[in-house]
Amino acid sequence: MNILFLQFLLQVIFLTIVFLHISKKNFDAIWAYGIQSFAITILLLNSFFETGNISLLFVALLVLIVKVVLAPRFFARLIKKNELIFSVSTYLNIPITLIVIVLLCAIAFSGIFEPLTSIISSNQGLLSLALSTMFLSLFLIINRKSALSQIVGILSLENSIVAFAIFAGLEQSLSLQIGILFDISVWLIIATVFMSMMYTHFGSLDVTDMKKLKD
Amino acid sequence: MITNIITWILQLIFVPIMAPLCVGITRKLKAKFQNRKGASIFQPYQDLQKLFGKDEIISKDASWIFRCAPYIVFTVTIVVGASIPLFASSINNTITSDLLVIVYTLAIGTFFLALAGIDTGSAFGGFGSSREMTMSALAEGGFIFSLLTMALISNSTNLFMISQNSLLLQGHFFLSTALAFCGFFIIVLAETARFPFDNPSTHLELTMIHEAMILEYSGKKLALMEWASANKLLIFIAIASNLFFPFGLAQDLSASAIILGIIVFTIKIGIFCLVIAILESSIAKFRFFRLPDLLIIAFILNVIAIILIY
Repeated sequence: MNILFLQFLLQVIFLTIVFLHISKKNFDAIWAYGIQSFAITILLLNSFFETGNISLLFVALLVLIVKVVLAPRFFARLIKKNELIFSVSTYLNIPITLIVIVLLCAIAFSGIFEPLTSIISSNQGLLSLALSTMFLSLFLIINRKSALSQIVGILSLENSIVAFAIFAGLEQSLSLQIGILFDISVWLIIATVFMSMMYTHFGSLDVTDMKKLKD
Repeated sequence: MITNIITWILQLIFVPIMAPLCVGITRKLKAKFQNRKGASIFQPYQDLQKLFGKDEIISKDASWIFRCAPYIVFTVTIVVGASIPLFASSINNTITSDLLVIVYTLAIGTFFLALAGIDTGSAFGGFGSSREMTMSALAEGGFIFSLLTMALISNSTNLFMISQNSLLLQGHFFLSTALAFCGFFIIVLAETARFPFDNPSTHLELTMIHEAMILEYSGKKLALMEWASANKLLIFIAIASNLFFPFGLAQDLSASAIILGIIVFTIKIGIFCLVIAILESSIAKFRFFRLPDLLIIAFILNVIAIILIY
């Protein structure tokens, strides 16, 4: 595939993470995650077309099933069941959140991470962008009070790492990917059960409510 | 030579002729989305004709600013309308097409509009002007930075040169362009007094910004103010559509290219009107104290866009 198209897919991943930071509705966040995962699927498919390794096709199909279909369906069902239309607030307001995003992008593109981003010199810009998506996902986990948003943040971080690995030319072995996807599947089930229990107990998914457990 | 003159005449008259139609289409689409029949898309032309035929009442406290402001505000929109790429990117204008000239020429219009609002000493005009200046000051950063992003991508601050940039059409700088456009679209809504910043069809003191400033105007001067407001909407739509989506613009001054350019630009206007109508039918007006957040978001999105260029 054309490098511009691959670059476009990485940019879509970046934009979805920025959107995850801004969005107030849980359904929007789930959609954004679905789009992001679909972009990862296409990136993996591209790796298959480039290398001809049939295991990569299998991995891409698994990613499509687990991340694009199953995970959003799990979350959508949870949102519908508990009527969690709006996400709970963030620790920082949106302008300050965006300022932090600017700083994180600046750090990712600065010389500090050059040893990491220059693994493949022709992809340095793309690797910096992939690195900034990792930082933004981490920041999403930290900044959101909602357990659902935090879980989407963790899944988004995983997608960012996969994107970084693809552009860094790291080997996408079948056993490793299946292991990761199995982890994610199990983790999804545990997270959904945890969120349901949390909602039943506290009446919200706001993690700050868990401070009551100290009493 | 003749084609050149015709193109320039078209460039000069396009904004004032098409602007009321743009407002009419937006209103009609909005009415459709709200299950109303709505007025004809040509209603704004009839409104202008009616207002131009009416007498005007001017407060005895009004100074020359109040009398001159409609002419200045209208002239500003005509000058800016002629200085931005509308249907052709090949027009050579190095005098008034610089991004800073455009931004600050539009600011002159806003400045006189706000002065006219407070000139008669009316409480409505006063708070309208106060709100308008707050919004303009906050929107200016985002406006300049969104154009600056495109200028940095194109290596030129001339809007015609930016619209000639073929890199965008080839898919380069997608992320920066997308972020800059998101920021710019927020600015479009703020500068043209649209939802969620202002409600263009209300006269409630709690919500109005633009309407509060022109409340004292009547007759011909009100017609000029309304026309200038419509021109401004079309100017922002033109900047958004031709700088961020620079396809379909005439690359030479041949008749066929110009006609195709006008058709493509009209379609772009229609799409933008549709987006604005959908937005105005689906979201509520924000509280005034939430608006600075939105404008700061526009500014920061552009900062991210600039960082990502390098």
